[in-house]
Amino acid sequence: MSAPATGLRTELLQLFHDGADSPLPDAEFEAFALRVFARNFETVPAYRAYCVARGRTPATVDAWTGIPAVPTAAFKELPLRDQTADVERVFRTSGTTRGKQRRGEHHVVDLEVYRASLRATFEAFLLPDGVRPRVVSLMPPADVLSDSSLAFMITEVMTAFGAAGSHAFADAGGLDFTALETALAAVEEGPVLLLGTSAAFLHWLDRLEETGARFVLPAGSRLMDTGGFKGRGRRVEPASLRAAYGQRIGIPEWACVNEYGMTELLSQYYDDTLRRRLRAGSPAAEWRPEGEIAGRTRREMTDSMAADPGRAVGGVVRYKRGPGWLRSVAVDPETLDPLPAGTTGLLRHVDLANLYGVIAVQTEDLGHVDGRGLVVEGRAAGAPTRGCSIAMDLLLSEAP
Amino acid sequence: MTTPDFDAWHLPGMSVDEVETLEAGDLVCRYPVPTAELLASTVGRLREAGRALAERPVASIVDVVDTVAQRLSDAGDPLYEEAERLVAAATGYSAAMTRLVLDRMTADWRADRLWELLEAELPDPTVLDGFRPVGEDRRARAYGPELAFHAFAGNVPGVAVSSLVRTLLVKTPSLGKLASRQPVLPVLFARAVHAVDAEVGRALAVTYWPGGSHASGWQVLEAADTVIVYGGDEAVAAYRERTPATTRLVVHGPRFSVGLIARQALAGDPTTVAREVAGAVAAFDQHGCVSPHAVWVEETQAVTAVDFAEALAAALADVEEALPRGRLSPGEASAIQQERATAELKGHAPGRSETRVLSGPGTRWTVIYDAEPAFHPSCLNRLVRVHPVGELDEVIGLLAPVGRLLQSVAVAGPDRLRVRLAHRLARIGATRVTTFPRLPWPRPDWHNDGREPVRELLHWVDIETG
Repeated sequence: MSAPATGLRTELLQLFHDGADSPLPDAEFEAFALRVFARNFETVPAYRAYCVARGRTPATVDAWTGIPAVPTAAFKELPLRDQTADVERVFRTSGTTRGKQRRGEHHVVDLEVYRASLRATFEAFLLPDGVRPRVVSLMPPADVLSDSSLAFMITEVMTAFGAAGSHAFADAGGLDFTALETALAAVEEGPVLLLGTSAAFLHWLDRLEETGARFVLPAGSRLMDTGGFKGRGRRVEPASLRAAYGQRIGIPEWACVNEYGMTELLSQYYDDTLRRRLRAGSPAAEWRPEGEIAGRTRREMTDSMAADPGRAVGGVVRYKRGPGWLRSVAVDPETLDPLPAGTTGLLRHVDLANLYGVIAVQTEDLGHVDGRGLVVEGRAAGAPTRGCSIAMDLLLSEAP
Repeated sequence: MTTPDFDAWHLPGMSVDEVETLEAGDLVCRYPVPTAELLASTVGRLREAGRALAERPVASIVDVVDTVAQRLSDAGDPLYEEAERLVAAATGYSAAMTRLVLDRMTADWRADRLWELLEAELPDPTVLDGFRPVGEDRRARAYGPELAFHAFAGNVPGVAVSSLVRTLLVKTPSLGKLASRQPVLPVLFARAVHAVDAEVGRALAVTYWPGGSHASGWQVLEAADTVIVYGGDEAVAAYRERTPATTRLVVHGPRFSVGLIARQALAGDPTTVAREVAGAVAAFDQHGCVSPHAVWVEETQAVTAVDFAEALAAALADVEEALPRGRLSPGEASAIQQERATAELKGHAPGRSETRVLSGPGTRWTVIYDAEPAFHPSCLNRLVRVHPVGELDEVIGLLAPVGRLLQSVAVAGPDRLRVRLAHRLARIGATRVTTFPRLPWPRPDWHNDGREPVRELLHWVDIETG
């Protein structure tokens, strides 16, 4: 292995192996964060100079919210990683549909750190009941999409948790709907776990609506989707998408778990609904999304809205939670100062797993953070530039 | 549900039954659902109005527009106040910027400028009223289209009204489709024209519907014999695809502008030019196709490009006082933050040229000095790049790949240099070479995108004798 075997790495791996169930006490998170920051500062020269120029260095920063964050856009311009180590894999963002715009790159030094973080968290949020499902992926496997961090994650999940019959039903050419539907129709027992991008699921759901096909998967089946609707495809509110999952695939609303992650991070957030439900003890018979389940869904919606009126996203507020080693803060778009809990701003993520990269990433996503978790409200960027003055991506795709 | 602030339509004689809501900045607008019946009736009325308009002398049309323009430039007039309030709400512009834009744009609709425009493109504007001699035994008359459809862009207020004014001058009735971001001025203008002169006012129909969402919105294109489109490449492509081949299509596509600063212009002191550049960057908060994204500076020992960047930063800070930047959405602010921090990091990357980021409070203004000369578009809202260069001629090669999107180039320096560069810039796609003070405010008779906007609407009919 190429990664330096530091004490910090060992401690972090231990932390990940202990699982993503319990939050990390504030002081412990902060201590780790400052140590990871110090390492980033020592080993990523461009980041070091950036921090020095701001007067925010390991010598002067004493809170995790004070660690200088690197914008996601910078990942398109330079490799932000430990220059003393070799790179195991380069993950690239999925980019725009315009083709030539440069993609963000995350040069990952140590895949073991990624594996440990993603496995622990996935298990906590998708498999808290200990099942080992048949994993059905709508995404090509990692050996086909070698620069996709999502494909890597899904392949890892299949390896770590997938029962016999787990399979990816897409390749470089696209989704094989026929094979996917044949396989699902043939499933007789044992829970199925469907994984894919929201866009891929939507594409499939549109097709199911056309053909009128429906699936009723075994109790315990669940689904994870992720990603926005990049490019010019249709966009659908998350609640509508979940309703369609219920109607067409037979998966109850709370067992549809949305993941929020990005190429620049090695840790992820998930909707908390399935984990909370299974902790409360939900018998397999209650997995059917009809009648009473629909009623329960309405009550869940009412509860959420009563708890936080005026914050509806697609009509229902869904809080996401992550592992104890990932924290976020919403910052003011004008000043980049951290905002009070519950106030909407641009999301900044601090990921201890970025030991060999940069710990703090400033995104263009809008959201808020409070004691209940993270709510992602949408992408701040992509507000259309006005009228006939040039669209950024147009010029970028033309510029040399 | 908030009370709508603005009814975003002028459809004279039409009763509107069904409306939908649009949010334009801080303005909540209502607009009519574009049913096939509504649009067909509108087209019918416009054709009728066009028959009457065709008999009006062009001078009387100029007078009507001039009267409205006077009202829109008179700070004491309720119409001006309404325009000011609504435009500021929709655009997010500061009060000072709103007033500046209104004052500069309305000046172009006054009689003197309208005559300048007509005389520049048609030496004898009365060819619009009757047959006039051309040479020895020929007479000719100019006719505008029978019905024009305009699809407006939302970047800068006033451009849409200028488009409607031009079609009125050539006696053509128009249906204008508003941009979601700029619903105000065309509606206020059309209503005011109708109040001054109902016959002319009936030849203007202005409304909104979301692009691509209503089939009847596309069908109405078939009724027009001229379609005028403002917008980005996607919008233009959509209209190209749907406009019948026999219909004249006038396109004002996406454009950007830049600036070049010769060493002679700096003459040891960058302050004057810096102020001029700052003014050009600040106008429209940089959203115009005439707004500069970047400037290149010929360096001397006395004044380096870094020196210029610092002078520009000071000038932008001053401009911010007099002409504050408008309100941004979180996405626009985020784009500035991303661009600033990325520029900083790039500068620190091993083997990369130096960068420096100079910025005002919050996201108010940004100067990015980048020693790498390659062109990089700006996310706008007063973010401008400064690049060093040995000779301005080197910039031609840097801009050539994006030349088809290039519009104006401001050159600070001796006129002979401007002329020499103009030819080379023309070859790569620029259609206007100017000075920094003039950059944001083209003259009304300018060759917009290289064309004559009045003349290109016309067709000529000859009478031959003898």
